[in-house]
Amino acid sequence: MDSAALSAVQSYSASRAATQPGNTSGDSMFGRIAMDFAQTLAQGEQIAQQSMTGDADPHALVQALAQTELAVETAVTVRNKVVEAYQEILRMPV
Amino acid sequence: MTEFSKALDVSTSGLQAQAARLRHLSENISNADTPGYRRKTVPFRTEFDAGNGVAKVEVGRVSLDDRELERIFDPSHPMADTTGHFDGSNVNLLIELADAREAQRSYEANLKMFEQARQMSSGLMQLLRR
Repeated sequence: MDSAALSAVQSYSASRAATQPGNTSGDSMFGRIAMDFAQTLAQGEQIAQQSMTGDADPHALVQALAQTELAVETAVTVRNKVVEAYQEILRMPV
Repeated sequence: MTEFSKALDVSTSGLQAQAARLRHLSENISNADTPGYRRKTVPFRTEFDAGNGVAKVEVGRVSLDDRELERIFDPSHPMADTTGHFDGSNVNLLIELADAREAQRSYEANLKMFEQARQMSSGLMQLLRR
């Protein structure tokens, strides 16, 4: 192995730490938002199931579904923006 | 919780309250001819949700109207007293119908507010789309 390849390998392993995931415990702001989103979805599903078995008020069902719709719409829009920005970066001439 | 989902929450409480009111009204109407029945009145009160900081509406304790029962003259009725009268209900159908119409209008207003909050939130998200 020549020295150029060796230094490339060394600098790669030195900068590899940057690719490690950061804080994944869910304490970050984005983690909290994602948890909130998942909770809204789970609540909507639970009330939908209850209304199938006749336990839930139809008003609660409509409210939960509207709430879920709002959350999904927000999440999808933000995701589209993020993907768009990522693609913009990929198109950047290096 | 965003302002929009709070608005949905409050509108839903209004819908539930009006539905409960309509239920008691239909009890009154269906018991209009029941001897001794007193009409039920439904009070509304504000329920302050301190966690979200919104003032919802909720149905309080249902109370009975203590107006005089109607005296009906029918000597052949098994409940008739010595004068040939018996106690009917104190339900006035005209009042109940007017109240039901008011409940309907209020329900529609809450539905409109629900729809409005939904449209506004999806309009906001539409802004980010192209």
